[in-house]
Amino acid sequence: MVLGILNVPNFAQGHLYMVAAYLGFYMVMSYGMNYWLALVLATVALGVFGLVIYGLVFHRMRNAPEVNLFVAAMALLMVLEGIALYFFGASTKWFLIPFTRRVITFIGLALPVQRLIIIVGTLVVMVLLELFIKRTAMGAALEATAQHREGAMLCGIKVTRISAMAFIIGTGLAGIAGMLIGPAVLLEPTMGMGPLLVAFSAIIFGGLGSVGGAVLGAFILGLVESLASGYVSAKYSLIFVFGIMILMLLFRPKGLFGREVWRP
Amino acid sequence: MEAIRTVFSPKAVAWMLVLIAAIAVPPIVGGYVTSMLILIAIWTIMCFSMNLIFGYTGQLSLGHSAFLGIAAYTFSLITVKLHVGFWPAFLIAIVFTGFVGFLVGIPALKLRGPYFILVTLGFAVIVGVIVLGWIDLTGGANGLFGIPRPNPIPLPGGGTLRFDSLLSMYYFILFFVVLIGIFCHRLVHSLIGKRFIAISYNENLTESLGINTMSQKLLSFTISAILAGIAGVLYATYNAVISPELTHFARGMDVVAYLIVGGAGTMAGPIVGTLVLMTVPEVLQILPYLKTLINGIILMLFIIFLPNGIIGWFNMNLGGWLTSRRAVHGSA
Amino acid sequence: MALLEVAGLTKMFGGLTAVSELTFDIQPGELLSIIGPNGAGKTTLFNLLTGFYRPTSGTITFNAIDITGCKPYQVTRHGIGRTFQLTSIFKKSTVLENVLIGKSLHAAVGVWGSVLRTPATRREERKIRENAREILSFVGLGDKEDKVAGSLTEEAQKRLSISMALATEPKLLLLDEPTGGVNLEEISGLIDLVGKIRKSGTSICLIEHKMRMVMTISDRIVVLNYGKKIAEGAPKEVASNNEVIRAYLGERYAA
Repeated sequence: MVLGILNVPNFAQGHLYMVAAYLGFYMVMSYGMNYWLALVLATVALGVFGLVIYGLVFHRMRNAPEVNLFVAAMALLMVLEGIALYFFGASTKWFLIPFTRRVITFIGLALPVQRLIIIVGTLVVMVLLELFIKRTAMGAALEATAQHREGAMLCGIKVTRISAMAFIIGTGLAGIAGMLIGPAVLLEPTMGMGPLLVAFSAIIFGGLGSVGGAVLGAFILGLVESLASGYVSAKYSLIFVFGIMILMLLFRPKGLFGREVWRP
Repeated sequence: MEAIRTVFSPKAVAWMLVLIAAIAVPPIVGGYVTSMLILIAIWTIMCFSMNLIFGYTGQLSLGHSAFLGIAAYTFSLITVKLHVGFWPAFLIAIVFTGFVGFLVGIPALKLRGPYFILVTLGFAVIVGVIVLGWIDLTGGANGLFGIPRPNPIPLPGGGTLRFDSLLSMYYFILFFVVLIGIFCHRLVHSLIGKRFIAISYNENLTESLGINTMSQKLLSFTISAILAGIAGVLYATYNAVISPELTHFARGMDVVAYLIVGGAGTMAGPIVGTLVLMTVPEVLQILPYLKTLINGIILMLFIIFLPNGIIGWFNMNLGGWLTSRRAVHGSA
Repeated sequence: MALLEVAGLTKMFGGLTAVSELTFDIQPGELLSIIGPNGAGKTTLFNLLTGFYRPTSGTITFNAIDITGCKPYQVTRHGIGRTFQLTSIFKKSTVLENVLIGKSLHAAVGVWGSVLRTPATRREERKIRENAREILSFVGLGDKEDKVAGSLTEEAQKRLSISMALATEPKLLLLDEPTGGVNLEEISGLIDLVGKIRKSGTSICLIEHKMRMVMTISDRIVVLNYGKKIAEGAPKEVASNNEVIRAYLGERYAA
């Protein structure tokens, strides 16, 4: 359930960025700060960071072959991990806030508050995102750019601005995700890897090109991971998630709702 | 005659000199440098492996650290716990690794671009999880130790080739570097190599020309997995000790950095890149845990400003003097 | 017996029907042209024929074999070659290398043979190289084999892409706007090449917009509009067909 947020749809030109890299490293921000304030600040900070990265790196490389962009994203991951190791050390940290230990009892079920926050937060973000894409002009511009860059340019859409926007939204979402999940898990520099893999598994599982499918996939896979953690072993739960994705790839490469990829 | 011209061409002469240097230097410089060179040699083999699947076939796999680890662990387990002989164990380990590579390649290569990268990365993470978690088999975080060196080989003229000394291990590993280098060189210049390169340029076009791109990609992937496996076994036998750290995906990323900095899609690139990025930190005495950070920064700079790497830059500015011709990714 | 038979071919992308219930055939040795206003589904048809798109329904039969749903490389192996509207060549490789790739599907080479440079492999590579050179001189690029493909003129690049398709030894060659972006003098050269290819026994299916060219060289023409076939027949019949006139020029000009 938790992983619903981390599924950031791959917008504009498939610029890949290691969402999870950011996640891990901005968690520790809210030492001593009010949780909700920190949430907002983290999101904003990440958005700004995204803008900076976009300007320095991805914008320069907009005409480079796709692979180079992935390598750049990978380099970014390495740098961030290195920085995190340096500043925060390799040991795990615990993000404590008033909610962490509290539990609400509701019709006889003990519900940890933090988890509720995560679920509600995810739903809110998803709805907002959906509205943004489908109902606003900028959202439409984003979709157009994602589908056909040159076409969008011809329509007068400022592609650079849109790409930057996509990036910022993406990193901002990562910030939200990180802040929501942070209190629920242990913090360590590579904590982003697991969620990232599940997120991509979800995208593949739900179908490339289908946001709804990806979200559904995220929920299903999140469920699988939890069940696996509970019944089999926490260490190996990731393997189950991954395994399902592999099975999907072998038998139905398009995923559950995949759209046909346009091949020139 | 054509053959003589090739043997004495500037390129061939350059390679000869490099080889002579590689053979002659270690006895002179002593233990510390030699052990550095051994590690460089092993990672160069890894770099050749990445060069095949990424530099020449265009698929960025972040999972190859897992193949290195699988081979290292398989080899170590069957020699230490099952007391299998060195050479049979070597063979079994790399065949098994190649097999795993084949199995992983089948679903993974159905994906393109970022999805392929993520799946291979996921594979590396999963293998890491298994190696760390299956303590009974792999010793978990403590790793395995007591891994043997190659058995002494009786020589035809009497006497034996022993592998106890550092120098002997160096030449043993150098032998594999040269062998693999020649293998890769021949492969990429053959028709099959040309197919790989075509796939990296435009997979759809290649497919429309009747080539089963999936099977070719799988071939490249499997071969590169085997090469990574060889690097793994060599590491295990040299170091006598292995730990899960070996399979960590960051190692795979480091190798990609070496490759890009040296020049992907060239023959000299892997060697130059690995040499530079492994020696510079040593020389500057940089703390080990900053290694990935430094590699990342350097990689970032290169991929933005010099995407064809050092050799690639030479290639474009000094007219293909040093390398095979494939011009790689990047603006030019 | 027809070389290519298309029956009831339909392709839908979500709600959009790109091609609808298309039925026609191509006889061995003929040159069939596909024409129609922009967006009529011509390139989609080629993509369907060559396996880049999977038909929503309908069948494609080539040489009496059902190739519906085959992957692109399988279609090529059955004997259908193709060029693309946007000239598709390997710009960074040499002209000869481009054709070598096209020929390589027929090459009997393996990894060990290549690495060990066995006599058999070397013979095979030499043979392939010879074949490639023959094709290059056939299309008129014989003297340019070592040039970097990206440095050629637009027209030469088109010839190169045709030679690559020819290298796969097709029985049917699909040409998607081979004279697009080429100036007037060069067009007749390309038309001659197309004629040459026909004479050597390859059937051709052509998508073109240049009406004079189409009328002159085609044996038959199929006209598409909004994904449907609206006319089929010899050039003269098609030219005077009301539906066709209406499609291209609008209501006012129909008889």
